[in-house]
Amino acid sequence: MATLHLLSHSPFSDSRLSSCLRLLGPEDGLLLTGDAVYALQPGTAQLQALQLMPAGIALYALDEDLQARALHAPARAQAIDYPAFVELCGRYAKVNSWL
Amino acid sequence: MSKSMLIISRQAPWAGPSAREALDIALAGGAFDLPLGLLFLDDGVFQLAAGQQPGALQQKDLSANLQALPLFGVEELFVSSRSLAERGLDEAALALPAERLDDTALTLLLDRFDLVVTI
Repeated sequence: MATLHLLSHSPFSDSRLSSCLRLLGPEDGLLLTGDAVYALQPGTAQLQALQLMPAGIALYALDEDLQARALHAPARAQAIDYPAFVELCGRYAKVNSWL
Repeated sequence: MSKSMLIISRQAPWAGPSAREALDIALAGGAFDLPLGLLFLDDGVFQLAAGQQPGALQQKDLSANLQALPLFGVEELFVSSRSLAERGLDEAALALPAERLDDTALTLLLDRFDLVVTI
């Protein structure tokens, strides 16, 4: 029973990302939206933590949020649009929004 | 003699209105010739990243407001070098020439202004 974890807050101003990384199951997915895409900023401890996730955990980021913040998805992450976001929510058994 | 004020902007640009509002305060104060300083701290340093395209989110670009600061007489612009380094921006070219200050220099900076407001 895999869960898609949905993060939308800056990983530099609170602990949602680090808590989420501790709780992730081996087949869970992680989708970064809004300020959470700042976790993909090169040269940060946050990106390093994401790169260290087991390969079984899929990592996604919303493309329009990347563009707005002048960020690019690294090879480990897949940039997706809103239709793909919806499709992804259906693919996992549960969606956990870190509000 | 007007009191001097330091505005500390510490929110990232696109998740809420705070970043724009801090800039609006600075521009309004500058228009009235108030002695203002503006410090970018914590996630506020993301406002200075080059090449942002907020049109993707149907938001107005903040960079025009940033560029207007010197024209409105707000020339004392500072940024925390620690905040830049934590966010991988220490080597990056910034959209606005702001003086990079370490934590010790920031303490002295806050001392120098009569009023300080953090947004």
